[in-house]
Amino acid sequence: MSLFKARDWWSTTLGENEEFDQGCLCVADVDNSGTGHDKIIVGSYSGFLRIVSPHPPKASEGGQVEDLLLEVQLRDPVLQVEVGKFVSGTELLHLAILHPRKLCVYSISGTLGNVEHGNQYQIKLMYEHNLQKSACNMTYGPFGGVKGRDLICIQSMDGMLMFFEQESYAFGRYLPGFLLPGPLSYSSRTDSFVTVSSCRQVESYKYQVLAVATDADTRKETEQQKIASGKKLVADWILNIGEQALDIRVVTFNQTSFSVFVLGERNFFCLKENGQIRFMKKLDYNPSGFLPYGSVSEGTINTLVGNHNNMLLVYQDVTLRWAAQLPHIPVAVKVANFQDLKGVIVTLSDSGQLQCSYFGTDPSLFQAPKVESRDVNYEELDVEMKELQRIIKEASKSQDMLLKLDKEDDLTLAASVSTDLDSESQAFESEVECEIIPSVTVKFCIRSRLNVKKTVLSINVPFPLAVTQDHFIFDSLDPGIKKTANVSVFLKGNCPPADIEGSAVISYCTPTELNPEGVPRVVQCKFQLPLKLVCFPVQPSKAANHKLTIDTNKPPVNLGNLFPDFVNQVEDDNVNVLGLQLLAGRKVTLLASKTSQRYRIQSEQFEDLWLITRELILRFEEYFQKQGIKDFTCSFSGPMPLQEYFEIIEQHFQLRFNVEKYDSLLSERAVQFRAIQRLLLTRFKDKTPAPLQNLDTLLDGTYRQVIGLADAAEEGQQNLSRGFTRLKSATHLFVMLIGLRQKLSKDQMAILEGTFLPLFQDGQELGWEESVDAAVSHLLRTCLSKSSKEQALNLNSQLNIPKDTSRLKKHITLLCDRLAKGGRLSLSADAGGQQAMLMPGVNEQADEEDRQERNDQNQQ
Amino acid sequence: MGTGLEMEPLLQAWSYFRRRKFEHCSQACSRILEKEPCDQEPGSEHLTQAAWSLKTRALTEMVYVDEIEVDQEGIAEMLLDENSIAQVARPGTSLKLTTAKKFDGPSPAVRPVTQSGRPITGFVRPSTQSGRPGTMEQAIKTPRTANTARPITSASGRSVRLGTASMLTHPGGAFINLSRLNLAKYAVRPQLAKTLFEYIFHHENDVKNALDLAALATEHAQFKDWWWKVQLGKCYYRLGLYREAEKQFKSALTHQDMVDIFLYMGKVYIRMDQPLTALGLFKQGLDRFPKEVSVLCAVARIHEEMNDMKSASEYYKEVLKQDSSNVEAIACIGSNHFYTDQPEIALRFYRRLLQMGVYNCQLFNNLGLCCFYAQQYDMILTSFERALSLAENEYEAAEVWYNLGHVAVGIGDLTLAYQCFKLTLANNNDHAEAYNNLAVLEMRKNHVEQARALLQTAAALAPHMYEPHFNFASLSDKIGDLQSSYIAAQKSETAFPDHVESQRLIQELRQHFATI
Repeated sequence: MSLFKARDWWSTTLGENEEFDQGCLCVADVDNSGTGHDKIIVGSYSGFLRIVSPHPPKASEGGQVEDLLLEVQLRDPVLQVEVGKFVSGTELLHLAILHPRKLCVYSISGTLGNVEHGNQYQIKLMYEHNLQKSACNMTYGPFGGVKGRDLICIQSMDGMLMFFEQESYAFGRYLPGFLLPGPLSYSSRTDSFVTVSSCRQVESYKYQVLAVATDADTRKETEQQKIASGKKLVADWILNIGEQALDIRVVTFNQTSFSVFVLGERNFFCLKENGQIRFMKKLDYNPSGFLPYGSVSEGTINTLVGNHNNMLLVYQDVTLRWAAQLPHIPVAVKVANFQDLKGVIVTLSDSGQLQCSYFGTDPSLFQAPKVESRDVNYEELDVEMKELQRIIKEASKSQDMLLKLDKEDDLTLAASVSTDLDSESQAFESEVECEIIPSVTVKFCIRSRLNVKKTVLSINVPFPLAVTQDHFIFDSLDPGIKKTANVSVFLKGNCPPADIEGSAVISYCTPTELNPEGVPRVVQCKFQLPLKLVCFPVQPSKAANHKLTIDTNKPPVNLGNLFPDFVNQVEDDNVNVLGLQLLAGRKVTLLASKTSQRYRIQSEQFEDLWLITRELILRFEEYFQKQGIKDFTCSFSGPMPLQEYFEIIEQHFQLRFNVEKYDSLLSERAVQFRAIQRLLLTRFKDKTPAPLQNLDTLLDGTYRQVIGLADAAEEGQQNLSRGFTRLKSATHLFVMLIGLRQKLSKDQMAILEGTFLPLFQDGQELGWEESVDAAVSHLLRTCLSKSSKEQALNLNSQLNIPKDTSRLKKHITLLCDRLAKGGRLSLSADAGGQQAMLMPGVNEQADEEDRQERNDQNQQ
Repeated sequence: MGTGLEMEPLLQAWSYFRRRKFEHCSQACSRILEKEPCDQEPGSEHLTQAAWSLKTRALTEMVYVDEIEVDQEGIAEMLLDENSIAQVARPGTSLKLTTAKKFDGPSPAVRPVTQSGRPITGFVRPSTQSGRPGTMEQAIKTPRTANTARPITSASGRSVRLGTASMLTHPGGAFINLSRLNLAKYAVRPQLAKTLFEYIFHHENDVKNALDLAALATEHAQFKDWWWKVQLGKCYYRLGLYREAEKQFKSALTHQDMVDIFLYMGKVYIRMDQPLTALGLFKQGLDRFPKEVSVLCAVARIHEEMNDMKSASEYYKEVLKQDSSNVEAIACIGSNHFYTDQPEIALRFYRRLLQMGVYNCQLFNNLGLCCFYAQQYDMILTSFERALSLAENEYEAAEVWYNLGHVAVGIGDLTLAYQCFKLTLANNNDHAEAYNNLAVLEMRKNHVEQARALLQTAAALAPHMYEPHFNFASLSDKIGDLQSSYIAAQKSETAFPDHVESQRLIQELRQHFATI
């Protein structure tokens, strides 16, 4: 992140596919021209040596050709180039080039031509040393305080420092504890070498210590015998910096300040002469190279740091003075003086981009990409806006923002239930204890008009029924091709279902040109499962606890005609008794009166009556429709079976209570468990081990309790879901009986069903009892209210599990009474006072949101 | 990169490492190791060791994350935390209780707060993401919106995943098989041990083994190497043994002052909920390393978390004096100015960020808002347009639409506002603020039931916001549902104790109840 970029003064790209590293750049007046103008010397790992003398770009195409003074290819990779007084007997500057196995010193000389491009430069080898070891880097300087010449020290890859006194090899020394080479630098003031070892320490070795009392020459002989750790060598000082370093520079700008700068991987250190930290700075980027280059004000030193985010930063001690963007990652940074310009920053990237730049307030050009915008045509815009507003208005009239679907669906889903049970039952893992659990095959047909994607078919049947496979994934469907899927439905849970209607949903996406992802759509379909799936005919029994009598207005029908799939026709012409055994339930007996138009359904269990009663009425309707009789009605005149119904409610409530009890016990034990854990943790953490005081046994016991309780809670949940299914059956029956008794219209039945069966799922947070109580009392307060006084009661905003069911029972009884007295169920506006301003749909939606939100609240 | 000349393989690898081409480096090292699998020749032992060490370093660097920046507190850590000294800390000494004390700086009426009651900061850091629930139950029941997903169960969880991900990329299994490692052998060789430790800690995330190695190594170093002590401290910190970590860091400081040690130790104190001690420590650190940006930032963050906005921005300004391109400082000062009614100045800070190359949805969103409040109307819509085009996910888009809704309310276009808030909800169904504002709009239309439902949703999603509670209270008061009004008003007061309207409403209701 920087505001400005470095201004490009001169730049070029050297070579192709060549590699460069830290040591490959050197800046000096290498040809001893005496003008004080620096040349840039660059070596590459491919063995090229180039000397460049940049000139400011002229108006016409740049003088790049003249700027490149020399380019030679050497036989070995160039690891490092340095310029110094390397040749004895002269103080002229020479070029030292480090190859992996060789050190060469060259002299560079130029002959001036008549014109500028006539200049000639030559390179002449002065001397070379072949190295025994593979070299890594080098440093030079007046070791031992010699005057007027520079000695060279080469570090090898295996940790030997080799010293060369110009043309002759002086001695070699192994660094102790060496593993990988670190940067190496010579400090002339203390006459010592500074490096960062693999132990992550800055180590300083005096030249004298290195030189004195050694058998450097015998080293070569002993080498074969391999002495890994080397001679005992004592460092002058050691500073543990805890990280590897990229580079070390020793800086003496004037008499007072002498510092060793270390660029670590994560920090940047400035050390005093004796190895103490003068200051350090934590870097929040990955540095790539650095150069302390001078001090402007007293006592401070400016440093250039390049990093891997293509930036060049200038620090004055630790304060960031400038940050500039570069076009590449600088692996080497130098400052040079050229003909017309002093203090030019020279940077080299590892792919050979060489740039001379200076700072300036050129903004780092970050061009924000253009937002896709249209040419604004206000008239068109207005028209479009109006159209959109209209659509929005229309949509918001119908309460929500959902789009209206096309009349015809793009995709059709059809389910067909086979008329016969599967010859071989497909049931698996069923909990029903029965020899044969019947199953029935349902076939789904999918046909699409368009190309649709991400098609997923999911099939849902109410608990305790189950399907063999509830998910089918068809990735993409081509138009016109039919896909089918077969599943088998069977009874899984150990109780009779409350409903034998299944549903299937298919979700898909219709990709369009603009929207390749596609618009998600769903199609739903329902299917009726046969009664045979859950019951089979048995001998009828006369005695039963619960009996219902249904009256009809038509002459009695032969049960054999109504239930052909359960009655063997050959046996008897007139069947008026039919026994049905519900799988996992009780026996239900169906009796038809021979003379009157009555039918009796009886069973040992109240809720088991529901499925058969429903089936009976459905079959009646079907039967009479076939006969062409339209005015068929059923009715129920007996007393409402409130008592039986309340018993089931009570049972369900008890089950819920149980579950809650287990839940609270479980959370209590969990808290206890955590408390013991914490105590134990403290014990274990303690330095002086204290006795556990049987805490471990307690932990074990609590753990077992938790597991036991969890099992119990799980079982309770299962019981509860079974109980809820039974409650649902009973409720269905109850609602139907009210309907038959009061001869309620379809709309009123829908309201009643909505009131009594608000939930698909029964939960601990929001259960059946409180939601039904709320719904019933709402009805009692609105459409069934006797006086306006009752309407004034306000809503309880929070639904909680009630203490007992008496209130609910009272309300249900009241509801039955009021209905019997001629109350009419409606949700329309005239009934309520407060609801006057709401539209009917709104009410439901609000309820929906209310419920949703209560769910949310309760989850917390 | 093909070169004509053969380089020494180890030298090449070493050079790759220095240029941070870790993939190349690791491959080059593998080749060396394959060529010389065991120590057959006497001379090759050093080479294999060096290559092994280099590869270890390269693999570590690939996944390295500065441990100071990693800060995620899981439920397990919070619950089994026996380090807290007092359950109820004195005001101003803890990061946990913030609502109990007076707000210094803008009140929540002006500046929104996070779940834990701290003002929203201008810069997203790992630690600003999660609140500090007090108990397990509370932690589990915290409203789970899309942004503040449930707290992480354990601090090591995320790191483990990082570790396994890096392992998958090596088809031949892990480079170093930790279970077969003889740690004692390595501990006596510091040049290998340090590299190995970083590998185990950062790459494998095996804190236990790392701790073993560090313990052996520090013993070998005769307890004189501060680096090992810091590593021990890091391990202890990861394991949740804060007191032990503190001890190690303290001991490390006696050997050598390092910026990192101060930062690590400060982190320990913050985790132990002792912000004042941390501040003291940082002060000490600043004496030793004056103007160190990372320490200054850490101090500013603590002040910010403790609701001391004035000091926080003071320190952030100090940061900018040292490093004028510090994004965090610029963003925080900017947002502080914005919430103290100086949108023009905030605008300047955000513009600076833009110039520096920060280019994201959040920035344009902020720019748009600043422009609006600074009455530079020409820039509002273009800023938001850009923000929308830059939004990376639906949640970001939701924020932009929400702010557009604000602008629409500001210019009085209620239909547009309504649509904007609806769009917010379409993008992010858990946006409590949008629910609240939508409810206010519904209230204006006299749709009482809908407004109530929306407010209840908002209150359920964000119980820490006082607005939905208060709105609900005043709405219920208006339609005569005094009981609900009283309850909601009380909730509003707990969320924002200094809210005058809530207090007044409660008082009125009390009087009312008294007369009945």
